[in-house]
This record gives sequence, C-alpha cells and structure tokens, in this order.
Amino acid sequence: MAIRREPSRAQVRREQMLAAATYPLDWLEERSGLVGGVKYFLFRKVPSDTNWMQTLGSATLTAFLVQAVTGVILAMYYKPSPHDAYSSIQNITDHLTMGWLVRGMHKWGASVFIILMFLHMGRVFLFGAYKYPRELNWIIGVLLLVLGLTAGFTGYLLPWDQTAYWASVVGINLNGTAPFVGPWLAQFLRSGQEINGNTLSLFYSLHMLVIPAGIISLITLHLYLVIRLGVTSPPWSREAAGREVVEEPSTVRTGLTRPAPHGGASGGSD
Amino acid sequence: MAEEKPSGLDERRAGFARYKKDVKERGKSFFPYAMFHDTVMSLIVVSVIVGLAVIWKWTSYGPHHDGLHKGLIGPEYAPPADPGTVSFVPRPDWYFYFLFYLLRIFKWPETVFLGTIGVPTIALILLLALPFMDLRRERRPSRRPVAMVAAVLTIFSMGILTWKGATAKEALASEVIADVPSWVTQEKLPAAAIPGAKLFATAGCTACHTYLGTGSSNLGAPDLTAIGTRNLGISFQIRHLQCPSCVTPGSPMPKFASLGTARLHELAVFLESSKGKR
Repeated sequence: MAIRREPSRAQVRREQMLAAATYPLDWLEERSGLVGGVKYFLFRKVPSDTNWMQTLGSATLTAFLVQAVTGVILAMYYKPSPHDAYSSIQNITDHLTMGWLVRGMHKWGASVFIILMFLHMGRVFLFGAYKYPRELNWIIGVLLLVLGLTAGFTGYLLPWDQTAYWASVVGINLNGTAPFVGPWLAQFLRSGQEINGNTLSLFYSLHMLVIPAGIISLITLHLYLVIRLGVTSPPWSREAAGREVVEEPSTVRTGLTRPAPHGGASGGSD
Repeated sequence: MAEEKPSGLDERRAGFARYKKDVKERGKSFFPYAMFHDTVMSLIVVSVIVGLAVIWKWTSYGPHHDGLHKGLIGPEYAPPADPGTVSFVPRPDWYFYFLFYLLRIFKWPETVFLGTIGVPTIALILLLALPFMDLRRERRPSRRPVAMVAAVLTIFSMGILTWKGATAKEALASEVIADVPSWVTQEKLPAAAIPGAKLFATAGCTACHTYLGTGSSNLGAPDLTAIGTRNLGISFQIRHLQCPSCVTPGSPMPKFASLGTARLHELAVFLESSKGKR
C-alpha cells in the first residue's frame, strides 16, 4: 500500500462546500437526467460555419415567447364579451400601468413573429435545409406557420372594434366559400348564425388556449428534431459539414436541363 | 457522377453520416459560440417589438390624447364594433393582404372559391410536399435553378399582392354611378328603375355585392345582376332591405331601414327589374 498524504483541512472543507453546492443538481440529475440533457443541449457541436442567418429560428422563438408572456398578462385584464371587450381594451391601453406597452408589444409582436417565421422559412429554403433527413421538421415548420397565421386571425377580432369586427366578417365568409365544408366551417367560426358574443368567446378560446397549446407542442417537436438532426452548414461554405470532397467533373453539371440521375421531381422513385 | 452509384436514399444516408462525422470532428460548441449570436439576435427582436409599441403609443395617443388618431403606424383602436354600419371598409391585418387581394383577382362569383380557398390550399400543399418533390441532394443555390426561380417568383408575387392589397381602394360611389347608363342599356331597365339604380350605386351596395361585374365580392354576398329573375316581389325586397336577418335568418347583411320606405321602394323596383343581361 502506498502511503497517502492526509488531505489538509482546507482541502476537505473545499470538497465539502463543492459537494453541498452541487447537491441539488446531483439530486435532480439522479432523478431526471435533466442536467445531462441541458449539458448536451449547450455543449453539442454545431457546424463551424454556422452564421447569423441561422439565428432566425431562435429569433422566431423569442418573438413567440414575447407573445406568450404579454398574452398571459393581457388575459388577466381582457373581458371577452361584446359589451366589455372594447372598454377593457381601452382600460388596458389608457389606464393600466404599462398596459399600453404590454398591448403594444402583443400587437406588434404578432407582426414581428409572422415576419420572422417567413424569413426563417426563406433561410431554410435557401440552405436546402428541408432535404433528407429534415423533411419532417420542414412539415412541422409549415404547420407552425399556419397556426401562427390562425393565431393572428383569431386575435384580430378580440378588440371588438370596427376593424376587428368587419375583418372577421370577411374572414369568416371567406372560409364559407370552401366547397362542401365551407358553410359548416363558417357556421362553426361564427358559433351560430351571426357574429356575436359566442363568436368572440370562441375566438378567445382558440386564440389563448387551443392555438398556443398547438404552437408550443409543435415548437417542442421542432426543437427536438433540430437538436437530434443538427444544424445545416451554409451550402456554399468551403468547410460545409457533409460536403463531398471530390469535385464533380464540370461536364456533368446538373440543373434545369439535366436533372440529377437520382432525384429531381420526376426521377425520384425512392 | 459518371460511375455506378447506389440508390438515392443510400447516397443521402451516406451524406448525412458524413455530415455527422464532420460536425463531430470540426464543429464548434453551441455554447457559447452559436448561442452568442442567438442571444444578440433575440435582444434585437425584443428591442424592435418594444420600439414599435412605443412609436405606436406615442404617435397615436401622445400628442392627441385620443387612441383613435392614426399615428405613424396606425391608431390604437378603431371605433367600437357596430354591425349596423354600411360604409366601413373591411381590412384584415397586413399579413393577410395577399389573400385579400387575391379576391379582387377572382372576383366573379364562380371563381371566388379559387381566391379564398383554392390558391391558398394549393400553395399549402406545395409547401408541405416540397421535401418530397425536391429529392436531389444538391443544396447550393447556384445549382438549384428551378428552386431559386420558384422562390423569387413566390416572393415577388406575395410582395405584389401584399402591396396591392395595402393600397387597394374600394370603388367610389362616383365611379360606380358612372356605370348606371350601361346597366340601363345592358339590362334594358325601365325608366322607373333608374332612381333605384342610382341609389344602388351610391348607398354602398357594391361594397359587398356585384352587379354586371361592378362591385366587390369580398364578403361572399350574392351577385345581383339577375336578382329580378327570382321574382321575390317588391314587398319582400323592402322587408329584406329593412332587416335582412329577419327575413333570411343568418344573413350577415346590415340593415338599410334608415334609407326610408320611399327610397327602399326605388331600390326594390330596381332589383326586381334586374333580369340579367338581355
């Protein structure tokens, strides 16, 4: 047996302090594995050439979080009935401390959220990042875009002012022109024969319960797939991850007139 | 790519395996490198949102103490909802302008559903199907001419539609009334129907209804070119104009009782004389 030097008192003390400090984390990790998960998320590798264009996704998430937080605050003061809606919005905007800011951020945040969704989608398209194996994440993204637009449509009625009312009349009638399901859909959206308090309650419930729940679930899936499949390199990058090192001979360029032998809209049988 | 190649799927799988290997060997850690960019961008987003809220409040309310005043980027609120107004022009939020304008392109009754449901549905299906239509592995924009042209055309047309929707004006009463003489000749309207025709042109009917191609079908209201062929009768027309939803339950049409019985009678005569193009 080798002779071990007894650790000094200070050393023992330091170890005890460290153990005490990390105890809650160790406790959590042992029971959930969450700490490992967060570590994996933070320290996972992304391609070295990841650039500013790839911040649009997280920017969209930030805009959504702004909507979620301001929306919860607005829900505390908004009254979804034809009689009270308009005055409660006036109250929020003109009398509540910082109410104008919360409502303004929610109103304008909606536009920013939608612009960012389109920009993010454009980036993914430009990078060809919807290709194998990320097809499913593209589809989830398209569904998120649809849900985001639906959130905008249902939220627009809530102030119950002229703009809101008439835009919703038009919007609902537009749905009514769909073949077969149209009249049923319009009836459902109005929740009756005409736009009234029932319509407002329905839109409120869709806007603050159903649609956000859908968006949050889909964002969770979206992020899970981003982490699982990784972020794509800019396609023009010299160090693009996954790039084939061998250059294609220039005589066999693919493009408009010569689709690639495997793939293209018509050739892809796999 | 002249040599024998494995199937497209095998190629794609190999490409992804190569991607994972490259990222593992040469990648950077998400924290702090990529996360720094994300944080800066998120701060910009929040600042822009706060900035818009401040501009909105201070330019509409600030100097006027009236939330109805149109500031730099719009009023805080419009007047309270009033289902009885006839003159209010419906406007969606700006990101629906492109849909809004599609309706003006497909304004004939038989084609309205193309603008409302048809084109958006096709666009949605194309978006969802994109990864299955474009199976090439090539990601460089310079080697994806079809995709890039499609993207530019999409952005261009959405931009044009949004801009046209934003600047679109409803037909003015003075423009609609200029069509009345041609209605008279095309429909062979009797002289008794002319006051009603003028009233129809100026009372805002064409904000929702179409008549011989004039007017808008934004609200999905019926075309009235040949309403007279249904022979609903003068008294029905008057009762309907006074209170549409009393006669036709569920009708979203506003009440026109305020026009007074005499003028409603003129309108009813005009409608009953409208037997379509003759």
